[in-house]
Amino acid sequence: MNRRVYLDHNASTPVHPEVVRAMLPYFEERFGNPSSVHDFGREAREGLDTAREQVAGFLEVGKDEIVFTSGGTESDNLAVKGVAAARGRGHIVTSQIEHHAVLRTCQSLEGQGFGVTYVPVDEHGMVDPDDVRRALRADTILVSIMHANSEVGTIQPAQEIGRVTRERGIPFHVDGVQTFGKVPIDLEAFGIDLLSFSSHKIYGPKGVAGLYIRKGTRMVSIQHGGDHERRRRAGTENVAAIVGFGQAVEVRARDMHEEAVRVVALRDRLWDGIVARVPEVRLNGHPIRRLPGTCNMCFRNVESESIVLGLDLKGIGVSAGSACTSGNVEPSYVLVGMGVPLDWAMGSVRCSLGRGTAAEDIDYVIESVEPLVAKLRDLSPVRA
Amino acid sequence: MMRDPDGVGESEYGECMDVVRFYLRLRNGRVAEARFQTYGCGPTIAASSAATELVCGRPLEEVRDMAAARVEKALDGLPEDRAHAAQVVAAAVRAAAADALGRRGRREDGEAVCLSR
Repeated sequence: MNRRVYLDHNASTPVHPEVVRAMLPYFEERFGNPSSVHDFGREAREGLDTAREQVAGFLEVGKDEIVFTSGGTESDNLAVKGVAAARGRGHIVTSQIEHHAVLRTCQSLEGQGFGVTYVPVDEHGMVDPDDVRRALRADTILVSIMHANSEVGTIQPAQEIGRVTRERGIPFHVDGVQTFGKVPIDLEAFGIDLLSFSSHKIYGPKGVAGLYIRKGTRMVSIQHGGDHERRRRAGTENVAAIVGFGQAVEVRARDMHEEAVRVVALRDRLWDGIVARVPEVRLNGHPIRRLPGTCNMCFRNVESESIVLGLDLKGIGVSAGSACTSGNVEPSYVLVGMGVPLDWAMGSVRCSLGRGTAAEDIDYVIESVEPLVAKLRDLSPVRA
Repeated sequence: MMRDPDGVGESEYGECMDVVRFYLRLRNGRVAEARFQTYGCGPTIAASSAATELVCGRPLEEVRDMAAARVEKALDGLPEDRAHAAQVVAAAVRAAAADALGRRGRREDGEAVCLSR
């Protein structure tokens, strides 16, 4: 039987054992609705409150500035639509490489009459703060730029962008789903007014995330119903998952820095090993300002999915940069935005390392990639 | 790849950038060996491989009429959004058979034929 190596931590992560232990009592014992007045409800409410304190403490913000949601996608929707709906009309500045949760939300708002400018990125996937400044209009109501791109890992100059938005008094939303709990985020220094962050990227359960909303930020709820989350997000809270999220944040506070150092070394080992053995391969993303565990590579004239499936047969989980859906292959819009030529972009593969990744795993991946790419190139009628 | 094939056919599926090249070696009017070269997603590579088994031993005339449905059946079906894999492979197979028939026809007419590409 093959060994199994998981290198897709940007997609999701295994739940930490401490997190599972923290969650368990909230299924069978403390199962009450936190909104209920009785003791059963109060028990659940305590778990919720503790989790909120943990998250707020980690971000060094007030507890009432944290809203729990069902996922990073919902947090992004709440941030962008919530600000837009509060203003009724206006213009939004975002980037061409945002997650679909922001891009498609902005496209939807364009359909409702909002203006949107999608600023470009350079060859590393980096936004230029001056492009953001130049894009601002008199009617700009929001700037939304992700902290790090999930595909290539490039970390954006959030502090410089925040300076631009603060000068103009425009709310600054950051999709921090890939950076929260992995690299430091200083909300004050970066001038961030809204931050989306997620549980299942940091060894917490799926189905829960958060949105930080700076006190005084003008926005409205997009999900109506009860008075939950101080009337900012209606719906009975997923208590067990939120408790798990809080515990995951506690663990991150403890482990984040050491893990980043360890994982960077492994990530560089992976790239060094592959570039030494496999011809015509390139690394995507900024060489230095990049998520600790992300290694996105392009193999020229080899098709992404065939590499992913070939590695899957060896027990290795990675993700493809292009997607074949409905008979159309679309290269990653992120790589296209970075100007990566098509014969490279079609062969992109993302490896994202995590706390469970060991040096032996990296060596196994390198040993597996080399013959696989050689075989696929041999199999192909397409030559450079 | 195949040295000195009796027939070679190529097909492309533009929307997906899949390219399939199919090679045939014949004996007594039947396929004795088949090989492929493919650039494309997993299902297209799988379909190419399945097609080499499908055509072996078959008369050339039958291979000339290879339908995508037969290739798909050899894979026990394909998801709807990957149906193009069977189509592009079947087209390459048919092109290879047509090429082989064309060369055979020219040989019967006494023309010189270059057998290798």
